[in-house]
Amino acid sequence: MANPLLEAPTNSSPATAIDLSQKASTFINSQSSWLSAIPYPLSLFINTESQEKWQTYENLFLACLRTGDDNTAYACLESLTNRFGKGNDRILGLQGLYKESTAKNDSELAEVLKEYEEILKNDPTIFSIRKRRAAVLRSMGRTSDAVTALTNLLDQSPTDAEAWSELADLYLMLGSYEQAIFCLEEVVLVMPNSWNMQARTGEVLYLSSEKLEGADQLRLLSESMRRYCRSLELCDDYLRGYYGLKLTTDRLLELLSTGKKSQQSSSDPVKGDLAPPSIDAVKKLNELATSKLTEIVRRSKSGEKGWDGYSEAEIIAARELLDRGTQKIER
Amino acid sequence: MAIAATTINILGIVFLSHAVYSAYEHSLLPSSSLPTPPSSILPHIIDPKINLPLDITLETLFSVFLLCVGVVLSSPELKPIQWNVWAGRLERSKEARVVKEVGVGGGNPYAVLEERPGFLDIRGRRKEFAGWVREGER
Repeated sequence: MANPLLEAPTNSSPATAIDLSQKASTFINSQSSWLSAIPYPLSLFINTESQEKWQTYENLFLACLRTGDDNTAYACLESLTNRFGKGNDRILGLQGLYKESTAKNDSELAEVLKEYEEILKNDPTIFSIRKRRAAVLRSMGRTSDAVTALTNLLDQSPTDAEAWSELADLYLMLGSYEQAIFCLEEVVLVMPNSWNMQARTGEVLYLSSEKLEGADQLRLLSESMRRYCRSLELCDDYLRGYYGLKLTTDRLLELLSTGKKSQQSSSDPVKGDLAPPSIDAVKKLNELATSKLTEIVRRSKSGEKGWDGYSEAEIIAARELLDRGTQKIER
Repeated sequence: MAIAATTINILGIVFLSHAVYSAYEHSLLPSSSLPTPPSSILPHIIDPKINLPLDITLETLFSVFLLCVGVVLSSPELKPIQWNVWAGRLERSKEARVVKEVGVGGGNPYAVLEERPGFLDIRGRRKEFAGWVREGER
């Protein structure tokens, strides 16, 4: 049974966020029954607690904040605070979120930031607040401060994959590809099975290879291709992975067919670089990616059962990439 | 398939009960209290020392076979235990991504690494939402 209240509203579309926030008042009313008013010793016999309940409260809180329904959001926050206490790390983070979103101007936001620093002075181990602080710095446009905050955080907690990923995103925003790739490699080290992060690493490698020329470009491109291959190894029919694989192999084929022989020996085994792949292998991978992409687009378009999960935009992009390939052949 | 499996199960139960009942009835017959000839194949200790007719034995075996087949056929579909198959299903179908309860179901568990709820830019999200509303009004 699907329960839309349990889906985190952080990355959903505005339409689902508003749907969720409209369910808030009915949910809150349904929770305040006479059962919760029973005095202490008797209340022990009645179980009104469940994980779902508090997850729903948090999701509703986030959805209401997003849609600007601050009063309902505050009601949710209050229930959560009553249940888990003011000192709870997660609650502190949520309270910070509320204050941030109700801050009207930059000076009020700076006030929130000061409050975070005050909390961290007393107890620097509250990671939710440290993350919030970095996020506020980023949203205020103080990117380099955000980077410093994150590197400090990661010095003390180097296995925090979420923070590594955020740092990678920041570096990417600043255009420092090398650092971004390093951070993404750390993410992959902490969570080696995450197929989306493997693909993400491939994407950043591909982007950075566009800036380079010759042997370096070849090295990064083949690295990117290997990342995509790994993500496909971890996940069947991964549209993003096949898209990237086709993109990189197309580019690699161009490079390898026009490149000089001297490029082939550019890899340095001492540094741990692998030799660039052979043309035949790249060709095979390219054919595989093309046929798989065609299959995914076809099955998803025809609405086959069990193939409805791909996002519309991704399917359209894959189709365009395929069309570009066929046009080239016709010419 | 489900109907066939249930039919097989019911048939198996009916045959099994019938065989058990027949064996019981047979044991009440005066002829069954007669001393049985010692078995020629089985050793002395595990010789059951009864003379059940062959059709009851066959019926029991047949009903157990039916039940075995029925139970296997009526079991729910196996879940993928290979990582790539499981992950592929999450990517492919919406149905596999449905959140059933906290910690059960849901899409790619590593998607949080790209959504990063801990670093949620709530002000940006609010602005985006306000923009979406304004666009809808226009």
